[in-house]
Amino acid sequence: MFAHIFNYRLKCLLRDKITIFWTIAFPLILAIFFKLAFSNIGNQEVFKVIDIAVVENSQYQEDQNFRLALDEVSKGDSRLFNITVATAEEAKKLLDENLIKGYIIVDNQIKLVVKESGLSQNIIKSFIDNYLQTVSAASTIIQNDPSNQQEILKSLADRKNYIKEVTGTGAKPNSILNYFYSLIAMACFYGGFFGMRETTDIQANISTLAARINVAPVHKLKTFLYSLCAALLIHSVEMLALLGFMHYVLKIEFGYRAGFVVLTTIIGSIAGVLMGALISATVKKSEGLKVAAVLTISMLGSFLAGMMFQDMKYIIAQNVPILSYINPINLLTDALYSLYYYDNLSRYFLNMVFLSVFTILATFGTYLILRRRKYASL
Amino acid sequence: MVIKVKNLVKRYSELIALDHLSFSVRKGEIFGLLGPNGSGKTTAINCILSLLKYDKGEIEIFDKPMTPEAYDIKRNIGIVMQNVAVYNELSVYENIDYFCGLYVKDKNLRKKLVDEAIEFVDLNDYRKFYPNKLSGGLLRRLNIACGIAHKPELIILDEPTVAVDPQSRNKILEGIKELNKKGATIIYTSHYMEEVEQICSRIMIIDKGRAIATGTKEELKAMITLGEKITVESYDISEEHLIRLKNLPNIVSVEYKEQLLEIKSSKGKNNLENVLEFIKRENIQFGKIYSELPTLNDVFLEITGKELRD
Ligand SMILES: Nc1ncnc2c1ncn2[C@@H]1O[C@H](COP(=O)(O)OP(=O)(O)OP(=O)(O)O)[C@@H](O)[C@H]1O
Ligand SMILES: [Mg+2]
Repeated sequence: MFAHIFNYRLKCLLRDKITIFWTIAFPLILAIFFKLAFSNIGNQEVFKVIDIAVVENSQYQEDQNFRLALDEVSKGDSRLFNITVATAEEAKKLLDENLIKGYIIVDNQIKLVVKESGLSQNIIKSFIDNYLQTVSAASTIIQNDPSNQQEILKSLADRKNYIKEVTGTGAKPNSILNYFYSLIAMACFYGGFFGMRETTDIQANISTLAARINVAPVHKLKTFLYSLCAALLIHSVEMLALLGFMHYVLKIEFGYRAGFVVLTTIIGSIAGVLMGALISATVKKSEGLKVAAVLTISMLGSFLAGMMFQDMKYIIAQNVPILSYINPINLLTDALYSLYYYDNLSRYFLNMVFLSVFTILATFGTYLILRRRKYASL
Repeated sequence: MVIKVKNLVKRYSELIALDHLSFSVRKGEIFGLLGPNGSGKTTAINCILSLLKYDKGEIEIFDKPMTPEAYDIKRNIGIVMQNVAVYNELSVYENIDYFCGLYVKDKNLRKKLVDEAIEFVDLNDYRKFYPNKLSGGLLRRLNIACGIAHKPELIILDEPTVAVDPQSRNKILEGIKELNKKGATIIYTSHYMEEVEQICSRIMIIDKGRAIATGTKEELKAMITLGEKITVESYDISEEHLIRLKNLPNIVSVEYKEQLLEIKSSKGKNNLENVLEFIKRENIQFGKIYSELPTLNDVFLEITGKELRD
């Protein structure tokens, strides 16, 4: 029975052009639009050399490649950083007194400690990421053929790369990445359109089709669950396609925690689908009202998470912090953001815990409503 | 008994949609539920199917109480809903196969059943069509096929022929008789008395949620006083004629409107003959003259005082 319902459900949903449009075509178009809007900004940016510190320890001394790389980016007129080598305490003090934007500790990993987020911090972070991706991956090449070394280090030190990569609209330096993160989050919650269809097609008091399904000799919740699987599968694949498109075609860098990014997006997709299911179960009859509810929640949520206006996220976080925690789209955006910017995952996990609670509540609410099998009125 | 409904009461807040409705359907019957719009036919069916909560009453199907979880009962029911209920994204074949698959697991058997159902509603040329490309009548036929493909023992059809052209309608009615001959018990809901008269072996007339009469069509017609209706086409009738006609034996009422003289008589012999004799005697010019036996509409009219058709 699972295969029968699941397969037919896949067919139904894949042929539902309107839902497919909203859940994948629309986010793709927005992503392209964002890319175009942000790509030609930043080159003219005036660049200020960034003051940083690096903690003196044995690992740092031993990591010859990294020292070379730091050297390369801190010499000449077009340098990225002014580097102070300091002990851990000194570095912390410098950061506290705002004399540096951040400091680097070479541990078994290369870690960045910052006080706040901003353009400079993002550049330091990007530098470290780029270093990890290019140099350490290429370190074997460097060792075998030292002539390559200069070239790789040069490219690492090229300001243009960072400015392009990191600057947002010029005025709002806090990276364009957050726009894409909130876009991903919005797309996840557009999965609500799938969830909506699932409840509409199983609740006899909402549609005749559902009444028809309810007289069949199959347990209602099973039918719902089997079809929901199809919806979740399609939407997760759509979200992976969106991620893939952003990364491979639009060249958006999501950092080195690719696995987490994928996992987070899939959990987001589940949260979105179930939110739609709950809305549809609650709002009963009016189709228009349901669509409006899904759109409003996704759009408003993304707006508050900074999709249209970057500072919104911080305004909310500072003035109405509770809203940051109950806005599932903000949770998702912030989870992706923390994956990229913080080495420490605790903020990421906090977001994920809240998001999971949201999803579980939506699931439970939907269950309570769907459990009913006879209605006072059809 | 295939279905037993006892004292079913269903209220929609103020409105009493079903008022102590009781009836039973025997195995092998085509049981007609005849009533005007809003009389409670669909409500009764939804209660029987355990889709609707009801305020009072008992419902048994195949001698077992019907509940939403009674899957062995449900397995043997086929339902054709009043509103078309199919998936717009699935083709004709896929829709029938989907619904059939909820009842029949075996793939080969299912294929055979689906083909037969397509044959039954004559949609062979439209197998690959999507519902939005089907005309209203074809869509109704698809709706029927989805409900009956699994060859259930009990088939409930709620006004399946609305918007179907007369030719297809006849085909559907013949098909229903055929299903019945092969052993299915059928409940057929309609406000078309002709259809109900044509196929149903027993009929329940309902109005305002109450059963007003139940029986075969002959039994129903025998319940009323009207025996036959004689119609005469004539220009030539005076008030005095009408009074004298009324005094003929057995005549219940006489009406003259737009050159049509309508005479209703109670049951008895020689009614037509008496009228003819009168007309000849009075030298009344007339065109056509004919006599009709009472219809279910007359039954409805006599019991409720209003026409069945709106
Ligand atoms: N969901 C509802 N809420 C309130 N009243 C309802 C509801 N459904 C039906 N009714 C009322 O109950 C009565 C019976 O309706 P029902 O649909 O059972 O009639 P029906 O005999 O099937 O009519 P039709 O021939 O038009 O299909 C009507 O007066 C209708 O207005
Ligand atoms: Mg009805």
